[in-house]
Amino acid sequence: MATTASRSGARTIFRRPDSNTGFWGWITTADHKKIGIMYGYTAFIFFILGGLEALLLRIQLSQPDNVFLSASEYNAMFTMHGTTMIFLFVMPVSAAFFNYLLPLMIGARDVAFPRMNAVSYWIFVFGGIFLYSSFVFGTTGPPVGGNLAETASRLGSGPNGGWFGYAPNSGLRFSSGTVMDYWSIGLQILGLASLISSINFIVTVFNMRAKGMKLLRMPVFVWMTTVVAFLLLFSLPIIAVALFMITFDRNVGTLFFDPSMGGDPILWQHFFWLFGHPEVYILILPAMGIVSEVLPTFSRKPLFGYPAVVFAGAAIGFMGFGVWAHHMFASGVTPITQAAFGLSTMAIAIPTGIKIFNWIGTIWGGKIKLNTPMLFSLGFVGMFVIGGLSGVTHSIVPADWQQTDTYYIVAHFHYVLFGGAIFGLFSGLYYWFPKLTGRMYSEALGKLHFWVFFVGFNLTFGPMHWLGLNGMVRRTWVYAEETGLGPWNMAVTVGAFIIALGVLIFMINWTWSKRNGPIAPFDPWDARTLEWTLPSPTPEYNFAVNPVITSLDDFWHKKYSEDADGRPVRRPEATALLAEYEEVGLNPPEPIHLPNPSYYPFLVGAGMPMVGYGLIYDNTAWGIPLLLLGAVTIVGSFIGWGVEPLEEPHADHHSDEPGHEHPGTDGEGS
Amino acid sequence: MAEEHALAHPTPRQYAQIAILLAFLTAIEVSLYYLEQSIDAFTTSVSAPLLILLAVMKFVIVVGWFMHLRFEKSLVSKFFTTGFVAAIVLYVAVLFALGAIVLT
Amino acid sequence: MSDVAHADGHHDVHEGTGIDNRKLGMWVFLSSEFMFFGALISNYMLFKGRDYSAFMPTGQSVLLPRGLYDIPFTSVSSFVLLMSSLTMVLAHDALVSGDQNRTRVWLAATGMLGSVFIGGQVFEFTEFVQQGMTISSNPAASAFFMLTGFHGAHVFFGILMLLSLYGISKRQGGLTEVQGLNVELVGLYWHFVDIIWIVIFTIVYLIP
Repeated sequence: MATTASRSGARTIFRRPDSNTGFWGWITTADHKKIGIMYGYTAFIFFILGGLEALLLRIQLSQPDNVFLSASEYNAMFTMHGTTMIFLFVMPVSAAFFNYLLPLMIGARDVAFPRMNAVSYWIFVFGGIFLYSSFVFGTTGPPVGGNLAETASRLGSGPNGGWFGYAPNSGLRFSSGTVMDYWSIGLQILGLASLISSINFIVTVFNMRAKGMKLLRMPVFVWMTTVVAFLLLFSLPIIAVALFMITFDRNVGTLFFDPSMGGDPILWQHFFWLFGHPEVYILILPAMGIVSEVLPTFSRKPLFGYPAVVFAGAAIGFMGFGVWAHHMFASGVTPITQAAFGLSTMAIAIPTGIKIFNWIGTIWGGKIKLNTPMLFSLGFVGMFVIGGLSGVTHSIVPADWQQTDTYYIVAHFHYVLFGGAIFGLFSGLYYWFPKLTGRMYSEALGKLHFWVFFVGFNLTFGPMHWLGLNGMVRRTWVYAEETGLGPWNMAVTVGAFIIALGVLIFMINWTWSKRNGPIAPFDPWDARTLEWTLPSPTPEYNFAVNPVITSLDDFWHKKYSEDADGRPVRRPEATALLAEYEEVGLNPPEPIHLPNPSYYPFLVGAGMPMVGYGLIYDNTAWGIPLLLLGAVTIVGSFIGWGVEPLEEPHADHHSDEPGHEHPGTDGEGS
Repeated sequence: MAEEHALAHPTPRQYAQIAILLAFLTAIEVSLYYLEQSIDAFTTSVSAPLLILLAVMKFVIVVGWFMHLRFEKSLVSKFFTTGFVAAIVLYVAVLFALGAIVLT
Repeated sequence: MSDVAHADGHHDVHEGTGIDNRKLGMWVFLSSEFMFFGALISNYMLFKGRDYSAFMPTGQSVLLPRGLYDIPFTSVSSFVLLMSSLTMVLAHDALVSGDQNRTRVWLAATGMLGSVFIGGQVFEFTEFVQQGMTISSNPAASAFFMLTGFHGAHVFFGILMLLSLYGISKRQGGLTEVQGLNVELVGLYWHFVDIIWIVIFTIVYLIP
């Protein structure tokens, strides 16, 4: 890229970064694919951390009266396991899919706001680091009236109030150290990242679709992305206010959740679950979108009832806002509230059931190929049905009282979030691996991963159902031998380690195949969506020529026609068409202008933890200066950004367009 | 784009007239407050609906003319209305569940 | 909107809404702000009607926000904020008709009126604290300060954006077409903050 050295972006604070490769190329990128890949890897690191925390929990619970972890360590582990898996793994890895795939699937060259996209990512990274820095800097004071007199070890110095941070336990009276400040401010930062990306995705979907890509021709994955973006848009402000309230209660002296001063802890539960239940669908809908892409491809049939699936997804999103109080049946809400939310909880099973039937209808009579993505998707459907059914049992209020705060609940939400979301996400990781890397993964290792996961998953979370119904209490640190819960707990722990083995197999497969796997064919799965009309790995400019869409599953219809029985028949010209796609995709006929990289998104993200630390340590000498430094960094970056154009003037733009010089080499560079 | 031009944007003079109208509505609001304070028969249950009605009128005027929502594509109105209606419905439900709003 | 050119030239290749990305993004953002202020307002609604006498040290009376309001004062500052919406829309109108100087004048006027509003709020807060009602007096007071404080913070950010636009225009001798859209965006934000105040003024101040 030597030709770019003469270029100047001198009008801003820094010289504009001009490298698209190497370390700074990743730090400063505004390319949605690179951002997506970074989201994926970062989220996976957090997945490992959250998984290790789960293993520690399971070692502690493997035997009655175990002393492996102290109570404070156990509290920190279960809090951070939940917080990590939800906010630092499933949400960002879904964001990774959105980032990488959304523009490709709608035929766009980038998202609507490329640099805002980078801001989302960097705020997420720094928010995650901030949250985890609690293990280094956080303190847990002795709670009033508790039995934890000693100061916790470093392992016990993570946030310890549960991922739901129930008041007043999360208030100063019961958590007098700083760890819950790390939690509330950390989640605030992470929420900001998601809010920005949700606006970005909504505008992208509504404004950036290729010609002819009408709303009801969008792939189901894009539809689910849109629904998730709206859920985020309307639910994040609620948790933002709630987190501000808890932060102010702890640091400014407000009294919202302190019952001894007239505050109302139940208000926290309402605000939290008003966000928290849409959040559940924020976690599961991306996986549903992935499964809705994978099942038709490997059944060689169109998705059964596409409009119904789309409508059901939107209905789930809509109704997801009307069921929050079923998390609170045991908190003394009025009988009218209980009845209303019991009914709405039953009702939301209907659109979910529609989806399940449509997926089964898709597989029915198809020519099924059991590749790894298909196995994971089928696993998703099966496990999600179990989790969904145990979920409906919560709508029966008296039964729910019995289940509340037992392992039955833990079993339920792991069946939907692990058996559901995570199986779906792994399905997607395998499915799009060739697109991402240009190579194929090892099918043998992939299938082994699935079966190890499947066995380990059911051994871990299946027994939790009856453990819970037999009285095993949630968030308990130890249990007595006389309860007789020991043997099944040991089985659960063994299952957890089998899951860990599955993750290890996945990592080996990924790292090995990325470098040494066989070169992926142009359209390895004979798929239906637009991203498969592009070379693998995707060139930086995505589409050499802006596509024009004429129908749902446009790519499929270009390859296949139907015979009299409605069976797909490959068109004779399909092979030539693919060759043409590959040829054109690698050689754009005319120059393509792309957003230039920028330092500012990184700096905006870096300013966030400074503000956070400043807020927590505002009573020390360096707290306020740090807060101001962070604020100046953020505001200054936005001003620098405001005067820096998205694309540098086009006259000197051709030379730094790697797509022209080295087409298709920039997809997964390291 | 053609449909947007069918409705001409207000002129500065018209903007000023709208502002005078808004100021007038605000004056009525404040007078209602004092009526409620000073006249016994004029209770909160009379003044509150009127005050809310006036606030809604001001709200609609600012959104429709100053924010040009009247002149935008309907998609924008749909987004905006969704946010507004969702907020009202959800928070009324929360207040109801918390017992701050009681049906009598 | 034809008064400000489309930011990128690729309009024709998309199946879009025809609304500029940034403008659509601003509208989407504002629709989510309803949820934000809705939570703050309902928080105040929940706490304003409760009785806190049981939580007070003996001999002290409960100081609630509604007992301390200075309605004439708040009416004036509400009026000031309302009029700043007029100056804002006039700034945009001046820009559309190509009058850069007049745009700057109205931008400055809007920022000034916003500052007057903030000043009034600082005065009101100081007054309340001096009369003995702090953020820690009772949950209703906490909710009042949090709600009006966050609204004030929104006005403050609006003033910052107005100042930046003013500064850029002053330095360059006018705003370019792409920057011109920012006037409209800041305008949307500014009017939104104004309508939130219309709601707060009625629900929090005028209805007892």
